[in-house]
Amino acid sequence: MKVAYYPGCVAQESGRELDMATRAVAPLVGIELVDFPNFSCCGSGFVDEANLTLNVALNARNLAIAERAGLTRIMTVCSTCQGMLSLARHTLKENATVARRVEETLRPLGLRYEGRAEARHLLQILVEDLGGAERLKPLIRRPLTGLKVGAFYGCHLLRPHDHVEFDDPEDPHSFEDVIRALGAEPVDYRGRVLCCGFPIQFVKPATAERIAGHQILDAKAHGADAMATPCPLCHISLDGYQKEAGRAVGTELNMPIFHFPQLVGLALGLAPAVLGLPRHLVNVDGALARIGAVAVPA
Amino acid sequence: MVEVPLEIYRKSPQDAAPHYDRFQIEVEEHTPVLTVLLKVRDEIDPTLSLRYSCRQAICGSCAMRINGKSRLACRTPVGPEVRLRGRIRIDPMGNQPVLRDLVVDQKPFWDRYYAVKPYLIPDPAHPLPEGRESPMSPEQVEQFRETPRCISCASCYSACPAIASDPSFLGPMALAKLYRFAVDPRDGGYTQRLQAVQNQGLWLCLRCNLCVEACPKDVRPAERIVDLKWMANQELGAREPGSRHAIRFASNLTEGGLLNERRLAVDTLGLGGSLRQLPKAIAMMRKGRSLRRHPPIQGLNEVQAIYQALDRPEDLAHRERQKGADVKGPRPPLPPKATTQSAPPPSKGGSP
Repeated sequence: MKVAYYPGCVAQESGRELDMATRAVAPLVGIELVDFPNFSCCGSGFVDEANLTLNVALNARNLAIAERAGLTRIMTVCSTCQGMLSLARHTLKENATVARRVEETLRPLGLRYEGRAEARHLLQILVEDLGGAERLKPLIRRPLTGLKVGAFYGCHLLRPHDHVEFDDPEDPHSFEDVIRALGAEPVDYRGRVLCCGFPIQFVKPATAERIAGHQILDAKAHGADAMATPCPLCHISLDGYQKEAGRAVGTELNMPIFHFPQLVGLALGLAPAVLGLPRHLVNVDGALARIGAVAVPA
Repeated sequence: MVEVPLEIYRKSPQDAAPHYDRFQIEVEEHTPVLTVLLKVRDEIDPTLSLRYSCRQAICGSCAMRINGKSRLACRTPVGPEVRLRGRIRIDPMGNQPVLRDLVVDQKPFWDRYYAVKPYLIPDPAHPLPEGRESPMSPEQVEQFRETPRCISCASCYSACPAIASDPSFLGPMALAKLYRFAVDPRDGGYTQRLQAVQNQGLWLCLRCNLCVEACPKDVRPAERIVDLKWMANQELGAREPGSRHAIRFASNLTEGGLLNERRLAVDTLGLGGSLRQLPKAIAMMRKGRSLRRHPPIQGLNEVQAIYQALDRPEDLAHRERQKGADVKGPRPPLPPKATTQSAPPPSKGGSP
């Protein structure tokens, strides 16, 4: 399946391991990535707070670029990108004033979004378009047997449901289905659908870190050996700021945090270094040892 | 019919810890959770405490957590919940101390409601007409969006993870209420209302949108909070980290089309604040994660053209509908006072 690959900013800068893992995993599961060096940032849930019309126009441009190349799927690997591209599509459908203004702005640039292209997260594509477990099971080379994984969805992939139209917005199961297909055991905990704290990391770090700490503690209390997230912003909170999160909740957390495609890649037999695992701030070797993967220095 | 395995949270004031009581009840699929709870109370255990009144999603009394989701028990059918989870677990609302079983002390919720001054603040520049109503144009009414539908059930408050981690956050209901008064054309407190929430109350919203899903009346509090942030940016400027982050994030993209993470840290936190991030940056660099700037995107000129066209207050097209109803602008002229003299009563029985 050919998709317009939308890595988003973080996977191209501080979180490049997400991009590495996506590029390694995609061909193995039957996804052909088409790169667009002209995609811009999605706005990340901040630009729309300054100017919604502007944010919608930026993403209408992204969608129009994919559409012009004959592709109807923009594949995101970030819950927030998925949410923002979906917000744009939803707003263009619902708000005629914004739609007209955006069209007027894009026309002189030779761009027009006709509503055919839509954003789909890698998780969504795997589960809904490629057959989920059925597709994955024959590809497994290193089943993640014995690993208990807490899925951490990232809000914007789920809510508002009328924007993203994926799974159950408060009690989803797609990620757990994939975890099961990979041979691991999903952990059921409430924090999996809650916020990671990232949006207020720069507003009030102490609160952001306490939120991240709560979710990791919740996963741990329910038996998780590791957590995995389809959102690199959640990854920043849960992995990048885990030390601070632990301090905020008064305990050392020591929880390996995988990007979603890294977890899939491990089960497909890819080497940890290929998946960028040595780049994490929280060491994942314990989790790798559990599934018989050997950590190799980067 | 469906077998409903029920797990109900129980706690008396004298109990050290709560426990769950389990019941098995057979009812029709569409039976509301509230009906099942009342069946338990009336037929099995009369000591079960819960709040309810109207049983038809008007009074907002029976909010509780049903399989973890904050919901009105009277409008949540049991069938889908049993199918989803194989059981129905009932917990009292979140973010409020439990008094007994499913009854919580709502003081933290109402304290926040009163904190936003949920009443009209008279505007000396536009005194309300004496002795008659103050009419609004349809555009002005439109500005309220869905906020007048709120029934104060606290489902959103119960679901809010920001409140759970930081009690200084005002929460979705109070902020949606604040929006409702800030846009009211009769209200004179626009700037003062925004100032009052600018520092913490407003920018601690995580935009997790759990309140949007929890609200039984589709008030969409998180989206009104985004509106309030926008209003605060326009009215008060980028004076604290939240608004500075939103505004600087937007302008950040004009240079390269993608986010320049390092630049944003300096812009939002200031030089001192970003220096405090230095140990983090070093820890990341040691893992091979330098914040190496990516080259500008192709077609950056298109992005810049979009900014040129739209990044102006007068081009905020999504606010256009509300422009005719500027909160501080004049009210529409009052229609002539209807009197019995000028408006003859409809003729009775005169038509063929």
